[in-house]
Amino acid sequence: MVDQTTITTTKTEETEVAAEPTTEQKGLVAEPKPEETKVTPEPAKQPYWYHLDRIPLAEDRAQKFLESFAAVLRHTNYKPVLDLYARSMTHCGRCTTACPVYQATGDPADIPCHRSQQILDVYKRYFTPGGWLRARIFGNHSLTNQRVDAIAESLYRCTACRRCNIECPMGLDHGLITHFGRYVLSEAGIEPKGLVVSTREQLEGETRNTSKVPLPALIDTLEFLEEDFEDMKSAKIKFPLDVEGAEYVFFTPVSDYLMEAESLMGIAAVLTAAGVSWTIGTQVYDAINYGLFYNDWVLDRVNNEILGETRRLKGRKVLIGECGHASRASKAFMPTFNRGDEIPLINIMELTYDLFKAGKIDLDPNVVTEKVTYHDPCNIARSGWIIEQPRAILRSFVKDFVEMTPNGRRNYCCGGGGGTVSLDEIHKFRMEIGGRTKMEQIRATGAEIVVAPCANCKKQLRELMKYHELPVQIVGLHDLILRAIRMPDSPGDQQSAADGSASSMVGSAKS
Amino acid sequence: MEELLAFLKGPLLVFVVLILVLGLVRQVVLSVWALIEATRRAGDRNIPYARVLRDTAIWMFPVTRLHRTLPVFSYASFFFHLGVISSAVFLQEHIDLFGPLGLSWPSIPRPYVDWLALLTFVGLVILLGHRIYVRQSRVVSDFADYAILVLLVVTVGMGYLGGQSWNVIPYSLTMVFHIAAGSTILVLIPFTKLAHCVLYPLVRLSSEIGWHLTREGGYDVVRTLYGPEGRKM
Repeated sequence: MVDQTTITTTKTEETEVAAEPTTEQKGLVAEPKPEETKVTPEPAKQPYWYHLDRIPLAEDRAQKFLESFAAVLRHTNYKPVLDLYARSMTHCGRCTTACPVYQATGDPADIPCHRSQQILDVYKRYFTPGGWLRARIFGNHSLTNQRVDAIAESLYRCTACRRCNIECPMGLDHGLITHFGRYVLSEAGIEPKGLVVSTREQLEGETRNTSKVPLPALIDTLEFLEEDFEDMKSAKIKFPLDVEGAEYVFFTPVSDYLMEAESLMGIAAVLTAAGVSWTIGTQVYDAINYGLFYNDWVLDRVNNEILGETRRLKGRKVLIGECGHASRASKAFMPTFNRGDEIPLINIMELTYDLFKAGKIDLDPNVVTEKVTYHDPCNIARSGWIIEQPRAILRSFVKDFVEMTPNGRRNYCCGGGGGTVSLDEIHKFRMEIGGRTKMEQIRATGAEIVVAPCANCKKQLRELMKYHELPVQIVGLHDLILRAIRMPDSPGDQQSAADGSASSMVGSAKS
Repeated sequence: MEELLAFLKGPLLVFVVLILVLGLVRQVVLSVWALIEATRRAGDRNIPYARVLRDTAIWMFPVTRLHRTLPVFSYASFFFHLGVISSAVFLQEHIDLFGPLGLSWPSIPRPYVDWLALLTFVGLVILLGHRIYVRQSRVVSDFADYAILVLLVVTVGMGYLGGQSWNVIPYSLTMVFHIAAGSTILVLIPFTKLAHCVLYPLVRLSSEIGWHLTREGGYDVVRTLYGPEGRKM
């Protein structure tokens, strides 16, 4: 079962959680921040009112949680959601049938509406007149550190896949409550180190990316990929760097530059073959946005890093690589956080599909003969955004394509969603609980190759296949395209290599 | 007994309906206002109303989704809602209560409304059994979940019995139980999860609006908690 020192199954009753490891021991707390011991609200920005006046809270973490809760309620749009959910949640239990974590554990703490109820209980108790009245009539029942720990534990067991939402007759989105709860925890200083350290490097570090990949290393990698592709296909591809005025500025999870060489070559091959005008920025090249998983302030800042780089290069559109969360974080929230002119956004699979439909890429149907299945990343499939496009491409050149059941909007999470794939402390949890349903799904297909067009899903699924000893290869969509693509003799109007390809940048960047 | 019944059907019912209507109007007005305000504050005000409306309508009549998960519970719940709304609204005796206000509308003939009441009752018993015997439902249920179901069982059961010639309980006593339990439910509606009878269309909309964040919200939260100098990562 789950490693009890890293993530534990807690009960919400305070007496029972008293003996549990603290949140720090579970690896859910970032390094102490110098500011966090002193809370000095601006006079004009007083937190939302709550019942701290007559019911003092002896415990520091609980008080910080409430102060954070109050500030988030005041400045965001979550309050009407909590209010309506608290007034109308019927506890019908249909969400239990949708949640892969609950299906694996059978633990009541993992029931989506039970998880949300913990947040709603705090809301009702401290932020509504009814809660104020009940506290005086029936007793205190103050929030405790242990209860806050239990909430944190519960929220980080959720993979935020939002599958429960599609089975809720009322339309409650427990993923939204998880998102809100993690945001409140984060501003109270309770956040996973794995996410915070990466984000700190991305927003405040020298390399400005989550994996600390320096620009010279990036350029070396791209140069190597250009040469490798030429050896493989006897044709040239280019990774144009810092080309001003390109139609697309490309951002992909920076981990792709370390681990997904074939995905990158496949993408470059498609764009080169179709003569697409594109570029990679040399200041910001990481699409990862962990803000989606734990903090709206971070979500905003990373989005603006991407927008800023696109504007610097005078690019016309943002192009996001194979990544579910990065695509959703940009697609869904750029209109919110963009403070300048609108910049359209497209995912690489949408673009490849458009080029495929336009007959601009030629795929050999005799190359991929293995049995292939497709895993829908939750962040691009749950809304119905990207489901059919990759399938249409795959069916055109893969001889033996099979579907998982269920799939599309009703797919199951890989088990590493919601940022949990970046938390090595909970590896065992991801393998035995979070990803169990997906592992069984993949096994049932008998597929030899799983196409998982998402950096997070790929990492999780590779670990999952290794852990459960399944001889299945996990690849991206463009990995298979790379195998099948037939490059034209003379590519279209692709920018000249000398104008900004990786190889032409080597000298200047390294220096 | 007759005097008690007259009181329940007279002054108490007026009071109950007043609480119900005012309570629900307050709920709807406050919720709609909060959602309008949230939309106004959103950085992206492009809310997909058509999709939300379509999903809301589909789930109001989820005939194609009932079998998908928890089929027994889902069918019981669907027929309970169908029965309780139609038999409560279209029973002639209920319509007659609004006669003094000059209100009237078509009713469902007696034999059919009896079948609807029976369907409602069976649905209720299954829902109650589901809460008690199915673990995942039991663990998420609280006292109010059971209390409301018991009150509904009494209301619907007594209402059905009151219309049957073979009922061995005196009619007046049956009606006292029926009206007392029913009135309790009506009073509770605005203050409990039963408010979903009017809030239902707004819940799914709020789920959508909730994801439409405020543009400066993140920075405002940081300034509130950490002062003008902000926070470090």
